[in-house]
Amino acid sequence: MTVKIFFPTCCSPSENGLLIGRWLEEHRSAVVLAIVHFPFIPGNVKRYLAGLERETGLRLAVLGTWSNIKAQKDEQMESFLGDLKSIFIHRPWLRITREASIIFWDCRIEGVDEEAEEEVVLVYYDQRKVMLSELHDATEHSEIATVFDTVARNRTLFALDRYDEGPIKLTHWQSDGVEASIIVELCKQASVPLCALLSFILSLIFSVTRALGRKPLSFLWNKLSTCEQLGKRLDSLQLICGTKAAKDHTLFMRKASTLVSLLLDVILGIVLMSWLYRGDHIGQLANALMPVADRVAVELQGLLQWLMGAPAGLKMNKALDEVLGRFFMYHIHLWISYIRLMSPFIEVILWYIGLSACLGLSVALSVLSDIIALLTFHIYCFYVYGARLYCLKIHGLASLWRLFRGKKWNVLRQRVDSCSYDLDQLFLGTLLFTILLFLLPTTALYYLVFTLLRLLVVLVQGVIQMTINLLNSLPLYALVLRLCRSYRLAAGVKFRMLQQEHGKCLRLLMQINPLTYGKVLQQYRLPSSNLYPKDSWGALCKKLFIGELIYPWRQERDKQD
Amino acid sequence: MDSHHIQSMVDRSEEGHRTCFSTTTCFTDECLHHAANRTHSICMVSDFFYPNMGGVESHIYQLSQCLIERGHKVIIVTHAYGDRKGIRYLTNGLKVYYLPLKVMYNQSTATTLLHSFPLLRYIFVRERVTIVHSHSSFSAMAHDALFHAKTLRLHTVFTDHSLFGFADVSSVLTNKLLTVSLCDTTHIICVSYTSKENTVLRAALDPKIVSVIPNAVDPTDFTPDPHRAKENKITIVVVSRLVYRKGIDLLGGIIPEMCQKYPDLHFIIGGEGPKRIIIEEVRERYQLHDRVQLKGALEHQEVRDVLVQGDIFLNMSLTEAFCMAIVEAASCGLQVVSTRVGGIPEVLPEDYIILCEPSVKSLCGGLEKAIKNMKSGKLPSPDAIHRAVRPFYTWRDVAERSEKVYDWVSLQTVLPMNKRLDRLITHCGVVTGCIFAFFVVVSYIFLMFLRWTTPDSVIDIAVNATGPGGAWSRQYPPKKRLKN
Amino acid sequence: MEDRTFSDIEGGKIIVQERLFSKTCKEFNIICPKMSVRSVVTATFTAWVAAYAMYAYTENNMVLSATTVSTIIGLLFYLHFVKIDQESLLLIGSLGIQMTLTYTSGKESTEFIEMHKIKDVVINEAIFMQKAIYYLCILLEDPSEPKRISSIVPLFQSAKPNLNCLVQVYNSCQEILSERKSFNLVD
Repeated sequence: MTVKIFFPTCCSPSENGLLIGRWLEEHRSAVVLAIVHFPFIPGNVKRYLAGLERETGLRLAVLGTWSNIKAQKDEQMESFLGDLKSIFIHRPWLRITREASIIFWDCRIEGVDEEAEEEVVLVYYDQRKVMLSELHDATEHSEIATVFDTVARNRTLFALDRYDEGPIKLTHWQSDGVEASIIVELCKQASVPLCALLSFILSLIFSVTRALGRKPLSFLWNKLSTCEQLGKRLDSLQLICGTKAAKDHTLFMRKASTLVSLLLDVILGIVLMSWLYRGDHIGQLANALMPVADRVAVELQGLLQWLMGAPAGLKMNKALDEVLGRFFMYHIHLWISYIRLMSPFIEVILWYIGLSACLGLSVALSVLSDIIALLTFHIYCFYVYGARLYCLKIHGLASLWRLFRGKKWNVLRQRVDSCSYDLDQLFLGTLLFTILLFLLPTTALYYLVFTLLRLLVVLVQGVIQMTINLLNSLPLYALVLRLCRSYRLAAGVKFRMLQQEHGKCLRLLMQINPLTYGKVLQQYRLPSSNLYPKDSWGALCKKLFIGELIYPWRQERDKQD
Repeated sequence: MDSHHIQSMVDRSEEGHRTCFSTTTCFTDECLHHAANRTHSICMVSDFFYPNMGGVESHIYQLSQCLIERGHKVIIVTHAYGDRKGIRYLTNGLKVYYLPLKVMYNQSTATTLLHSFPLLRYIFVRERVTIVHSHSSFSAMAHDALFHAKTLRLHTVFTDHSLFGFADVSSVLTNKLLTVSLCDTTHIICVSYTSKENTVLRAALDPKIVSVIPNAVDPTDFTPDPHRAKENKITIVVVSRLVYRKGIDLLGGIIPEMCQKYPDLHFIIGGEGPKRIIIEEVRERYQLHDRVQLKGALEHQEVRDVLVQGDIFLNMSLTEAFCMAIVEAASCGLQVVSTRVGGIPEVLPEDYIILCEPSVKSLCGGLEKAIKNMKSGKLPSPDAIHRAVRPFYTWRDVAERSEKVYDWVSLQTVLPMNKRLDRLITHCGVVTGCIFAFFVVVSYIFLMFLRWTTPDSVIDIAVNATGPGGAWSRQYPPKKRLKN
Repeated sequence: MEDRTFSDIEGGKIIVQERLFSKTCKEFNIICPKMSVRSVVTATFTAWVAAYAMYAYTENNMVLSATTVSTIIGLLFYLHFVKIDQESLLLIGSLGIQMTLTYTSGKESTEFIEMHKIKDVVINEAIFMQKAIYYLCILLEDPSEPKRISSIVPLFQSAKPNLNCLVQVYNSCQEILSERKSFNLVD
């Protein structure tokens, strides 16, 4: 049977004393937390341990003795340490002896059944790192998790200062002092009223937005990504300004990451704004924007002219082609006049919109996305008309095809049944089928062209949305923590074999295995609206083929809600 | 014992027109003497295996189990079924390789004649296979395996489970491929004489290398239900996949007609398939929900429970090489009404089956006759039928016969490369022959390449689970546990 | 400590070091063949021939510099993330099993599995590329249902030793695991 001793590395140079720690019966392992030095009064030690136990809820005990022999063996000391066993009763009783200039320690286990030979495994651990680290994916009965938990929960034990003249003297990991953290403490104190104030303001804003978000207006808000972005900004601010301290690790990490990504976002936004307002970039932008919109309209007109003729040598149905072409032309005409009307005000509008960048880069980007959506509204309209027409035809053709085969769609049972039709029904069906079939290419061509245009716009918007999403969901704090203090986020532990000597106990060094970056991203990703298309590429293609409307990704989510 | 005739139950029925093909292969005493007490390492290859259900699947499984019982080493190679991929073990250490090959159509894999070669060769080498036994002519993988086995100069056996036509384009093509595939196969097994006749004609084979070994059923699985209460209704059971080949369209005509005539008639239909909708529509149109019961797909162990609920078993197959379903039904003590197609007339003696033409009218007539028999009360009891049918077809018998085929095959020499090319060109026509001869050469070069990259000596020999010295056949618990 | 030579499934030589620390603590190091100079030279040479062909065609010396950079980056990437020099398996009877991968660049990635999670260590068969191979794997216990296996951790994924070597390691693993089992039975 094996006994494992987890021993803190910081305690190895300390003087003779008692080992304080926790005995884990389930795993047969001892976690040494500190060493009590002479002189002490046994009653005081017991009382102190009881006090700690009340505070942490973990059973601490005196596990054994520690002797560090500097020069030569002191027989008297040895026997004294042996006698302590009868005062602090613990089974098993550990006796660890370190002799000068020998790295192999002598560990003996006393107080267990004599016949069972005990093998001892000595595991060194870094108390500070283990205390601060957060173990991920730990299961219930895990020994390592219990060790981590034990060390972390005895934080109060480590708060005891070296120079403190308490009832007993302990050796364990010491923090470097409290002086430096005074500023931190002051900040902590100051942050509470600040947060309270901010959250009050936020709740005011929330009540206003809730009033605005009622039924008729909410339809408009849902369509604009800017509004959604602002709403999210408010949410995250509320999360940060919550006056209650974060309860657990996850919540704390989320708060910290939100704060850091918010700060980064705002800094980037301000950089963008300073670039925009220095040297009249706004005016240049406005001047460039109008010709672009004009140009798009003109190009579209050209495209329609081309479609109305014999596009790519295809011979279309002349009449239908003309009708559709004229209809779309009229639309473009309307659009151009609308843009002409708008053009004098564009620069002013842009100037005000540019101010939104001070709220953060993501807000500015979503404004841009909305502007693109507004400027390409005509393309959207064309696409919807084309898709509806095409969809109608496809559905008509499908049901008439079923009619030919003597089948019909059974709505109640959601399946295709066989059905016998009359002669006139069949005749009419055939007639309609022929008409639809011959008109299909014309409609399909218009549909194809406008779908491609629409997809282009959706692609651009999608890229912008993805950038925003990245900005919003990147857990920067966790990443920085992983980079600079890799032990704080532990995926597990790893052991290193230390030099062995035959006949002595097995020596291991326990190190912390940090989370991989991929895992960090996965674990601490901030929640953000899932903007990726819900359906797969195959489903998307199918939708395109049968002429169902593909919405911009954001709206699709709304529809599902 | 001067000669062993591989013979079918049908030998007892005198069917004159079959004489020209019923030259059963004779394995002389002498040659079998050499092969006696020899154990083989057999690799069964087919696209069709569990979890897919059907006649071929259970044939392979049961035959393998009986061969393992007789001390041979058997492995099965098939393609991956969804999540079931990799290497698995079934009862008694039957090892199954589910290879990651793309399924093309109807559970059959796509074939290029070459892409499965490296993997199959690796398996043949590591398992030290001596005989490759392919099943079903629908399975592309089976043909691929035959092709590769011949390149590797292993003995090959092929079992044909189905009948084909000769007229339409697809069967002409399939028959050509079958000719190519079987022309240099060492031995061929058919499940019935009709099937043998069909295969010999299709693949232009020498009837001497074709044996007939019927399928079998496990009679202990199909017993009549002694506690069945006497009811005053008549139940017709249909258990088959609901596909065109099984004549489900005929059933759609039979159900309304029979139900009109006999108000105490009930149908129980077990199985699943694309033609299910026909039955459902008939049931709805004639309001027969209380009389026509659709059981859906049945597990193997549920089949018996469904069968014993009925009095008459109806089989409407349009083509069938050997119908196991009717043997199962007869074994459960049911009267069997079936179409007279393919190998069905050979399967059961005429006292136990009513044969009809594959038409609604004829089948209805057959059913009426069965109902009349039943009402007259001069039918033998289900137990009597069971006792009579029980010894007809058993897997042990099948395994014994197959073993003889293996013994014979292992004494033959596999055609060397030049003879194989010769055979292909002379036997399959010049154009096809040359094309496939080219493939043979390519695959031979490919084999050279494979032997160069991974020589046989590098390949680990697999731990035998079955066969002589197999880890599973030993008495003490196996030391090495192989999971997944 | 002893070194033994085995071959992997492709016939290459691998060295297996076995280090015994105590009765219940053992380490296996499998040392894969080193990266051969020939393969590096071949790869670099091919890249350069392609680059010069491009250069002759386009007469743009950006191609050459791009090739240099990408070859170096590719090599570094290969050494740091792909090429594994050594795989070790540390068995500590009372604590668990630790697997370490050492890349050529010296990067180490370690995974430690605690003993209570481990159900067994077995040799399994799998279809890998165009081969059917044996591999050693750790079966992890399902915490909710002790009878079931929640997942499988394959060992020596890059070295892929052949069956002889696996049986050797397997037997050692079973020695240590059986001690744990007997200890559990005593309880």
